Amino acid sequence: MMLKIKSVHKSFGGVKALQGCSLEVARGKITALIGPNGSGKSTLFNIISQIEDEDKGRIWLDGEEITRFRDYKVSRRGISRTFQEVRLFHNLTIQDHIEIAIGKGDESIIKSFFKKRKRNTEKVKEMLALVGLEKPLDTYATDLSYGQRKLLDLAIAIASPHKLLMLDEPVAGVNPKLREAIKKIIRELNQKGETILVIEHDMNFVMDLADYVFVLDAGKLIAEGKPKMIQKNKKVLSAYLGE
Amino acid sequence: MISPYILNILIFICIYIILAVSLNVAIGYTGLLNLGHVAFFGIGAYTSALLTKAGVPYIVALICAGVFAAILGFLLILATYRLKGDYLALATLGFNFVIYSLMLNMIFLTNGPLGIAGIAKPSIFGLAIKTNFSYFIFVAVICTISVSIIYFLMRSPFGRLLEATRDDEIGLRVLGKNTFALKSKAMVISAFFAGIAGSLFAHYITYIDPTSFTLPEVILIVTIVIVGGLASIKGSIIAAFVILIVPEALRFVALPSSILGPTRQIIYALILIIILMFRPRGISGRVDLK
Amino acid sequence: MVITQLIANSLIIGSIYALVACGFSLIYSTNKFMHFAHGVTVVIGGYLLYTFFTLLHLPFYLASIVSVILTGLFGVLSYRVIYLPLKNKGSSNAILLMASIGIVILFENVIQLVFGADIKTIGYLDVAKGMDIFGASVTPLQIVIFIIAVVLFVVLYLFMSKTKLGRNMRAVADNSELARIIGINDKRISDYSFFIGSCLAGVAGILVALEQNLFPAMGLGLIIKGFTGAIIGGINFIPGAILGSFILGVAENFGIWYLPSGYKDAIAFGLLFLFLLFKPNGLFGIKKGVKE
Repeated sequence: MMLKIKSVHKSFGGVKALQGCSLEVARGKITALIGPNGSGKSTLFNIISQIEDEDKGRIWLDGEEITRFRDYKVSRRGISRTFQEVRLFHNLTIQDHIEIAIGKGDESIIKSFFKKRKRNTEKVKEMLALVGLEKPLDTYATDLSYGQRKLLDLAIAIASPHKLLMLDEPVAGVNPKLREAIKKIIRELNQKGETILVIEHDMNFVMDLADYVFVLDAGKLIAEGKPKMIQKNKKVLSAYLGE
Repeated sequence: MISPYILNILIFICIYIILAVSLNVAIGYTGLLNLGHVAFFGIGAYTSALLTKAGVPYIVALICAGVFAAILGFLLILATYRLKGDYLALATLGFNFVIYSLMLNMIFLTNGPLGIAGIAKPSIFGLAIKTNFSYFIFVAVICTISVSIIYFLMRSPFGRLLEATRDDEIGLRVLGKNTFALKSKAMVISAFFAGIAGSLFAHYITYIDPTSFTLPEVILIVTIVIVGGLASIKGSIIAAFVILIVPEALRFVALPSSILGPTRQIIYALILIIILMFRPRGISGRVDLK
Repeated sequence: MVITQLIANSLIIGSIYALVACGFSLIYSTNKFMHFAHGVTVVIGGYLLYTFFTLLHLPFYLASIVSVILTGLFGVLSYRVIYLPLKNKGSSNAILLMASIGIVILFENVIQLVFGADIKTIGYLDVAKGMDIFGASVTPLQIVIFIIAVVLFVVLYLFMSKTKLGRNMRAVADNSELARIIGINDKRISDYSFFIGSCLAGVAGILVALEQNLFPAMGLGLIIKGFTGAIIGGINFIPGAILGSFILGVAENFGIWYLPSGYKDAIAFGLLFLFLLFKPNGLFGIKKGVKE
């Protein structure tokens, strides 16, 4: 198992966002986390990446317990993620973004002092080609369209060294052509051996992509299994229809 | 020979360039709205003054001024780490007032409201810097070195991480970067150079008291940074010239000093408000104030 | 008795802080940004009274009322001339705070130019002897200050809970999006909140002028104290801000029982710092936090 989560609970004030969630992400497979809006999917992601603290529960990454780790440490341990609301550095260029993602030790003043910002143009171009972002390297993030921002967000997650890739609604609000392109990228990554955990609200997107599916509703896992089984699962259907 | 009047302005411009550029590191590059910068300035001034009075060689006192201010900077970021935007601004302003209060009340150390007089002109490796002209050269050299160091740092990958921290801290953390360490380093650098500026100030004026390190001083430096533009070293330098020279025009209108002081403050306040309202990016700012 | 004197002093200075704080809190909760210039509004109130009463010899109560109203208008003006244009441009709270600090410096120095930096006295009341109440020495003016403050707090409470305008203000404070959707004109609400908040500041200014004295730079200390009181009690919650200010008054007075009196301000700043760090919503505040 690449990722294992056991009995995660999270409340915000009086609202129980997650109640006793347990799931596992198999190595080298694409696992999907689906569920109606507000079911707690993003909260679970935030807890895994430790941007938020769980009230109860434990998490293991590749056999190592990461429950008490801080968010940047979790990332260093090997989790890369995207956000539903794309997080980019709007005053920096595309090249800057990728360089930051692949850079090591830049937080050290001494190591960094005599270096210039642009160092790894080849690798940068490689990453951008991987996601199909065809824009000059010195384009500022604010000058990108929404779809291009999604691609850049994906690119920096891929570029950042990782064992597990977590994608939070990678095709939300994206046009059909780009949807297919991103689906293709995810499939290609998986074929190279990447372990991927995807949140998607849209069942169809997930169904022919995922190897295994977990369904979340109102903070509880109501079903899990292969996509075909989930599609026929009555509980799942009523959860979606009832929303 | 350059007139003492012009030398005086130039010396102040150099000191304020260091102050503005170092504050820009915190506000413009790292997104930390630190209104307590003047506390570092004051700590540097007092540290340098007290150490030289105790017989410590000037160069050591100068470095200590920077280091002491830097330590304080680290304490400040440690204390205010979780605050954002206007709450951070007010907390750092509060910090400024706490330091002011300590300067005023720790009379055994700082002489309280009476201040410290008779601060010696610096002497480096036996070379005494006594004349205005030699002091100007000295200050200009320190200023050039300081600004260059900051320039290279901000241009480096480290500087880029600071800007990323400003733009989206969480986004940077999920890429595995320790933003607390980044913010701390930025604050420490910012404070260090403010402390250096404090030493230059103290040994030029030869008398310091707590009132030099309060809100009007904060406004002046912040105005320079905002007018010059956030994340623009060049802007801070130009703005320092502009903002320190413009009120000098008042001198040619023979105003009594009771009017000169408030008028100067009014000009600074108006410049700040007008820039915020009509050209918030200032001269060459690359970033908006969050 | 020392204890009762300390309590009396706490209540009196707490009243002043609370008057400043409740106006500030009213403006903050309705507009969601920090009107730092509220401090200079207080000073303007005091100097207006000085102008109308001491310089122009208008009858005292008339001068007071005119001063309070003009101070209220000053508040509205600062909103319409500076804050609203900035908000319309999408300026962040930090920019509004910076502009606000600019306003403080601007008017502090305008006052200094016009009136001079020396301390002014209003000269309405003679320096009264303190009466003895439970062992504390309290002047009639100080009692009046406390009473006026309490009356105003009650009036403010009734206004906020019983009148339509007050309820609309609370709606905007609670959820400005929703308030706008149901048709509340948020600009007019802001006008009113600035006017009322600044009138309260004007009253505070008058009381301070009578009790202490006037000098141009006093606004800074007052807004810091008022702000601290509001933070202690809950900046979004007016009754909290009032209570927090009295707590501050107590902390200051009991604090300088132990520490040298010069540290009075340091106590306030220290408390401000501590609360901003550990309890930014204050003791009684209800809103969501200030952490990102």
